[in-house]
Amino acid sequence: MSKHFLEIQKGNFIASEKNKVNDVNLIIEEQGQIISLLGPSGIGKTTILRTLAGLQKLNSGKIFLKGKLIASSEVHIEPEKRNIALSFQDNSLFPNYKVIDNINFGKKRSNGNGFDLDAKEIIELLHIDPILDKFPHQISAGEAQRVSIARSLISKPDLLLLDEPFSNIDQSLKEEIQVSVKKLLKRINLTTIIVTHDSYEAFSMADKCGIILNQELKQYDLPYNVHHEPNSVEVANFLNKGIFIDVKVVDSECAVHRLEHDELGEIRGKLSNNFPSGSKVKLLLQPEDLIHDDQSKLKLEVVDRKFRGTNFVYTLKTIKGEHLPVFVHSHHIHQHEKSEKFGIKTPIYIDHLVCF
Amino acid sequence: MTKYNIWFFSSLIIALIVALPIITIFFSFFSETSNYFTVLKNTFLYDYINNSLAILISVLVITFLLGVISAYFISFYEFPLCKFFSWALILAFAIPGYIFAFSIIAFFENYGTAYSILTSLFGEYNYNPHIPKLDGVLGSITAISFSLFPYVYVLTRSSFFFQSNNYIEVGQNLGLSEKETLFRIILPSARPAIIAGLALVAMECLSDFGTVSIFSVSTLTTGIYNSWLSFDDLNSANQISFILLIFILALLSIEIYSRKEAKYHQPGRGFKPINKIQLSGKKSLLAFSFCAVVFFISFVFPVSQMLYWTFKFPKYIQDIDILKINLNTIYLVGLSSLVLVLISLFINYGSRISKSKILNYLTNFSISGYAIPGVILAVAFITLFSNFSDLINENTNLGSTKKLFIGSIFGLILAYFIRFFSLSFNGIKSSYEKINNSIDESAYLLGYSKIKTFSRIHVPYLKNNIILIIVLISLEIIKELPITMILRPFNFETFATQAYVYASQDLLEAAALPSLFLISWASILILFSSKYILSQKN
Repeated sequence: MSKHFLEIQKGNFIASEKNKVNDVNLIIEEQGQIISLLGPSGIGKTTILRTLAGLQKLNSGKIFLKGKLIASSEVHIEPEKRNIALSFQDNSLFPNYKVIDNINFGKKRSNGNGFDLDAKEIIELLHIDPILDKFPHQISAGEAQRVSIARSLISKPDLLLLDEPFSNIDQSLKEEIQVSVKKLLKRINLTTIIVTHDSYEAFSMADKCGIILNQELKQYDLPYNVHHEPNSVEVANFLNKGIFIDVKVVDSECAVHRLEHDELGEIRGKLSNNFPSGSKVKLLLQPEDLIHDDQSKLKLEVVDRKFRGTNFVYTLKTIKGEHLPVFVHSHHIHQHEKSEKFGIKTPIYIDHLVCF
Repeated sequence: MTKYNIWFFSSLIIALIVALPIITIFFSFFSETSNYFTVLKNTFLYDYINNSLAILISVLVITFLLGVISAYFISFYEFPLCKFFSWALILAFAIPGYIFAFSIIAFFENYGTAYSILTSLFGEYNYNPHIPKLDGVLGSITAISFSLFPYVYVLTRSSFFFQSNNYIEVGQNLGLSEKETLFRIILPSARPAIIAGLALVAMECLSDFGTVSIFSVSTLTTGIYNSWLSFDDLNSANQISFILLIFILALLSIEIYSRKEAKYHQPGRGFKPINKIQLSGKKSLLAFSFCAVVFFISFVFPVSQMLYWTFKFPKYIQDIDILKINLNTIYLVGLSSLVLVLISLFINYGSRISKSKILNYLTNFSISGYAIPGVILAVAFITLFSNFSDLINENTNLGSTKKLFIGSIFGLILAYFIRFFSLSFNGIKSSYEKINNSIDESAYLLGYSKIKTFSRIHVPYLKNNIILIIVLISLEIIKELPITMILRPFNFETFATQAYVYASQDLLEAAALPSLFLISWASILILFSSKYILSQKN
């Protein structure tokens, strides 16, 4: 038994030797929470969704939904009896039915959750109106994805699983649809698990975010924490937010912790993990951590500059050969060329000192 | 891990049934050689092989030329009636070789149609010595070539269609002339399709029984038939069958290999359809004349000959119970299609939901029947069920079971099943494979059971394909001669058997009416399915 809405206990999800996730422990405490699973392609995220939906058997462990055991090595409730909807990445619309008929297919099982939601509203929300009378082969991949989401929603499931739901949707429409879908899911209190490889999507949609790497669920936490306090070098590297530099812990006792870097000098902030003073650690340095200051005495050589729309990303080189990324707003009054010296504000203050 | 469930055992039974003729022939080959076979080996066997090979090689050359040239003109150029010829050329599929053979004999024989035309044009005279005699091996080659060239035409045309205009433009950009483009880009990239078409032609040619039999040419197929009918020696018939099967299976392997290769030539992204070139003047006349002559000889000529005879000898319209033959044909076609489609659906569905590899191998094995020539299949069928009946007779009190299988509708349908299961199974499979597995899974997740998913998603999707399969099976059964001839119940005639029976009694003019009906039915079915045959998917 489980008192949580969904609980996976020591779940082993195996599709193939390469495509598997072992020993997953994941809890969705309450109905209506949105969870995202983030990880590189082909790592086994979809295998988890397919197993939750009942399309694959759970190799070992247990899955409880609303307190009821739905999968274990002995128990396997058939997919049509689980009341779990899965919107596939490749949309899987029935090719011989029009869009509207595809959506109406979902009504067959819309007796479970009983939330207040009608087809018209979903159709409007997902901008499907103009294509209702078309066949799947006549619509774009992005439109098909929206229809697939609509069909899943209309079936009023207990749990909604979305596999890369927005991957084919035009950038211009993507954000609007993400916001609308999230709003709707919250309104109807529908528990949802979204699988994605896009960290922005995972963070913006979800209440909690799981990071899957090397066949394991590495971190399962609030998106803010995952972003600012990755719990391992692997997670930090996957999120690709910065680089690791060698520092020494000078003071880990006071309210503000202090670290020392050979060239950058003192770095202040709050250590996410406890390390005794004097220990040598690796500090995650993200591009937003260093602040540009022309007046500063601390100057490093510019080795690269990339324009990223709202920002420039400068790459600075230390004497030891470390390459440090720094954001500078693109409206900044002047630019620095390669080989020029670039000033950094001291002392450096970083809210979350992520060290390993 | 294979599940030994209903799907497994059904597939196993079907595979065994379809493989029975091959197994029978295989074992017969190693059984004791009869006197007749020893005599045959020292006398006619090499004639059989030589004639079969001579016809085969000539037919391959002619069908290659007819099929590839017409496909080239129609795919790359615009000329008068180009669109018409694009589908009209496949009407040759409606004329079986043996009907073409009747037409050739009737036209070129002494005092035949050619003689009548010359007389009506130029007055009375003995034209007979001046009219070429197209008979024997030459007649067989002509008849078989014109009835089989559409295989090469259809596959080559489809391959030409898939050739992206980009390749041709690149060729032109690199300075290739039109002729160089044809020989260095277009033909090499269509090679797998052409070979696949020729392999099919070769298989059909080696399997042909009706045409060579009408022209009294001794080949391996007539050898099999004669061993069985004239010498009552099933063992020798099976031993000749074995030799023929080796040729056929070699060709089948070439065909399968070529088709696999042809897949690499399917268009990807950036595919640009061919921009047809508008021909004018002599070139336009050449393209038009070529297609017109091929269409005329392959379709108009035999149809006109049959029409001419039918109206010249109206007494046969009353003598032949054409309504009964129509009903017999509909009965056979309807029953066979129903059995074939239902079992193919069942096995395809089983293979789909059980996802077993062994099941896949079994079903692949069970499609081998199509490669077995009708004569071989019929003779093997008789061998098998005669032995089976003897076995039952010796060990039980049930009496002879021969009548159940030989000379019965049940036996005939069973033989058709073995022969055409591949057509039906693969036809449905190709369409089934287009339904992504995740579509089934979506249906399950929306609360639909397996049976409901089948009835509400699969069947509506496969509907058109099933109709097409029924059309193609019907076409094959209407034209089928040797199996029906050998295994039909006494006095049960189809268009093919009735025409053949008259022709073998030298009553060619009487064969015209059933032939005409056969051609009409076949043409209707071809026109019905032409959209598919000419669609670029085949």
